[in-house]
Amino acid sequence: MKTIGYVLVILAGLMTAAPNDAGAIPAFARKHGVNCNMCHTAFTKLNDFGQRVRDNGYQMPGQEGREMNVFQIAPPVSMRTSTGMLASHTGKQTTSSFALNGLDLLAAGVLHKNISFLLIYTPRLDEPAADYSGNADGANPGQPGALESANIVFSNVVRDALNVRVGRFEPAYHAFSSKRSYYLRQGYEIYAFTTPSNQFVFDDNQLGIEATGHFRNGFKYGAGLVNGNGANPDINNAKDVYVNLFQTIGRGDGQNAGQRLGAFAYYGWQPTRDIGAFVGDGGETDGKGNTGFYRVGGDVSLNWKTFNVKAFFMYGQDDQKLNPLDSSDYVFRGGFARVDWAGLWNNRLVVSGMYNWVRPPCYDDDRPPMDVTSALVRYYLGDWTAVNVALHLEYSYRDIGGIHPESGHALAALVDFDF
Amino acid sequence: MLMVMVWIAPTIAFPGDAPVTPITTSPVQSLGPQRIGNLPPVPVPPDNPQTSAKILLGKKLYFDTRLSKDNTISCATCHDPALGWSDAGPTSAGINNQLGGRRSPPVSNSAYNLLQFWDGRSPSLEEQAKGPIENPIEMGNTHTAMIQSVNGVPGYQEEFKRVFGSSPITVDQVAQAIAAFERTVVTTDSPFDRFVRGDQAALTPLEAKGLEVFNGKGHCAACHWGGLLSDGRFHNLGVAPIDPAKPDHGRYEVTKNPGDMGAFKTPTVRDADLRAPYLHNGSEKRLEDVVRLYDRGGGSDDANLDPMMVPLGLSNGEIEALVAFMKRAMTSVNPEVINVKPIPKSELPE
Repeated sequence: MKTIGYVLVILAGLMTAAPNDAGAIPAFARKHGVNCNMCHTAFTKLNDFGQRVRDNGYQMPGQEGREMNVFQIAPPVSMRTSTGMLASHTGKQTTSSFALNGLDLLAAGVLHKNISFLLIYTPRLDEPAADYSGNADGANPGQPGALESANIVFSNVVRDALNVRVGRFEPAYHAFSSKRSYYLRQGYEIYAFTTPSNQFVFDDNQLGIEATGHFRNGFKYGAGLVNGNGANPDINNAKDVYVNLFQTIGRGDGQNAGQRLGAFAYYGWQPTRDIGAFVGDGGETDGKGNTGFYRVGGDVSLNWKTFNVKAFFMYGQDDQKLNPLDSSDYVFRGGFARVDWAGLWNNRLVVSGMYNWVRPPCYDDDRPPMDVTSALVRYYLGDWTAVNVALHLEYSYRDIGGIHPESGHALAALVDFDF
Repeated sequence: MLMVMVWIAPTIAFPGDAPVTPITTSPVQSLGPQRIGNLPPVPVPPDNPQTSAKILLGKKLYFDTRLSKDNTISCATCHDPALGWSDAGPTSAGINNQLGGRRSPPVSNSAYNLLQFWDGRSPSLEEQAKGPIENPIEMGNTHTAMIQSVNGVPGYQEEFKRVFGSSPITVDQVAQAIAAFERTVVTTDSPFDRFVRGDQAALTPLEAKGLEVFNGKGHCAACHWGGLLSDGRFHNLGVAPIDPAKPDHGRYEVTKNPGDMGAFKTPTVRDADLRAPYLHNGSEKRLEDVVRLYDRGGGSDDANLDPMMVPLGLSNGEIEALVAFMKRAMTSVNPEVINVKPIPKSELPE
């Protein structure tokens, strides 16, 4: 019986591996009358120039206050979705289905010199995508409605040294953004890994305030104060803190030029009892018996010609009070390595390979060790102004260890488009 | 700040583009980048309206070496119509063969510049026209001496009185006449312009690919935008001085702002093929060399490198296409501009 459960878990993972949201914002390309490759190696991955624009509050570096603002351009709204065929095979079960990969509505722009905003809304989709995830009881929409990002950025508060982001945002410790990954089906497993009694998900956007800075010598930092349970109100009235540091060697930002090293540390609090006993204006604030957890790790991004190799490692530890499975702290580790190649004319073809691994403690039967090997090919039909269409073929082989080892294959053939 | 109202270029019909409603007017210097496209009508200052008589007078002055101290240098010496309204470079030779430190910027389309000279020290064509006359290594003259010379030519006295209705001739009138002529040197008929106007066959397939790179992976359009294909702003590309003992601080010399150290005005890409060598000091011989400089993320003198400079990762094919686009596709064939011949001394006012 447990084997069947495993198969279902793997199938669910293969079929519904959280499709990555957000990505490119063609409204920027529309605003400036340029093509996507101005800021993207190939959408959705930012190139070095695009990374600097993002770091600068969606303003061209050095051109602050001399761009059209949001009121002087066509509505700064973009949309993205992908559709096609998903197929998977695990054990004796094979499934296939035409599918929609959700819908993102994005709005972003510059309100005033050094003041910009980003909104990403994913509308709830009940049809035709109902029951794509979870049990087939009609209770699981293909995409839950969510305000994935809603933040305002105050750039260059102290030259490049201090930029402040407030609201719900993708935290700076995401060395490699899952939102701007080429992979549409296979995410970064370690980003999504959750521990038994901790609501913190590394991959979640966070609600709070963040300070970032970037310097001419290639050094960057990010530091934040956030609720710590993703996009939700606080549950324990104790804020989480994080800091991340990057150093780029050579010209570029380590996206497709320069070599980049990074490190991060996140320290958070979780209640051990009475979660949600009282809901006040500030959230569920009377979670009691708060105890700590932390995540630390490092990353590297290396570039050679049109190859980009990146690797990420994370070590996580939850206090033993957050570990119902054992009397010790809950310790896990994992990471990924990925190589991208962008070639042919104007980066029209992208080929990528990725290896994900997660190693939870051996006593956690519900979270067996996992190895996922993936590959993709993306072909862009053109490099057009503020619109892009990519043909996307992605394959993953998922190998689950533990007491009931299992493996599975997943294939996705999609058309990814945004405008 | 000079605020010029311009019309934004119409939508370029790239395959698959959704129509975008153009914004009709906007103050240029505060709004960019803008889509590359056709040049708008020439901006003309209200205090110096264009007249055919003034333009002809300005043309004569432009080719007249009597504006210089020793009657050897005219505007056209360094801004030669046959050399893309620039000169052979790498930097310009003025009076007594003295070499300047900078490349001669083109007169063609200079009417659209918000600021004149590589360092933007002049706010108008009229002010710019006065500068080289007094520059000791260009025309080597003084305004007083130059005006005495021009006033000493009866033919000029007559023409200036007809154009401006007053006498004697003033420095401002000389400058206004030259500027009026320069405002007619506008290149609007390149294959790129025809492509933008809807002629899909105007670009070769390679040039069309080059346009794609120009507007995207090459990052060119981040600074070379709008109808002029220039943002009119100042950027440090990391270009090392020819003589390390004589560094050129560029825009910093005007503003004294450390952020402007080594920054120079973005030149237009229009007719660039006619104007080798390139950059403010003529240090890059070919357009391909310029592209490769950008591809490396800038030059070696990078203490104040513009933050928009990043390595581009261009392939040889992409560089070839980009250069092809900037050569034939950006070269205009306006007969009224490319057929301009120097006015012989015998036809200048006596």
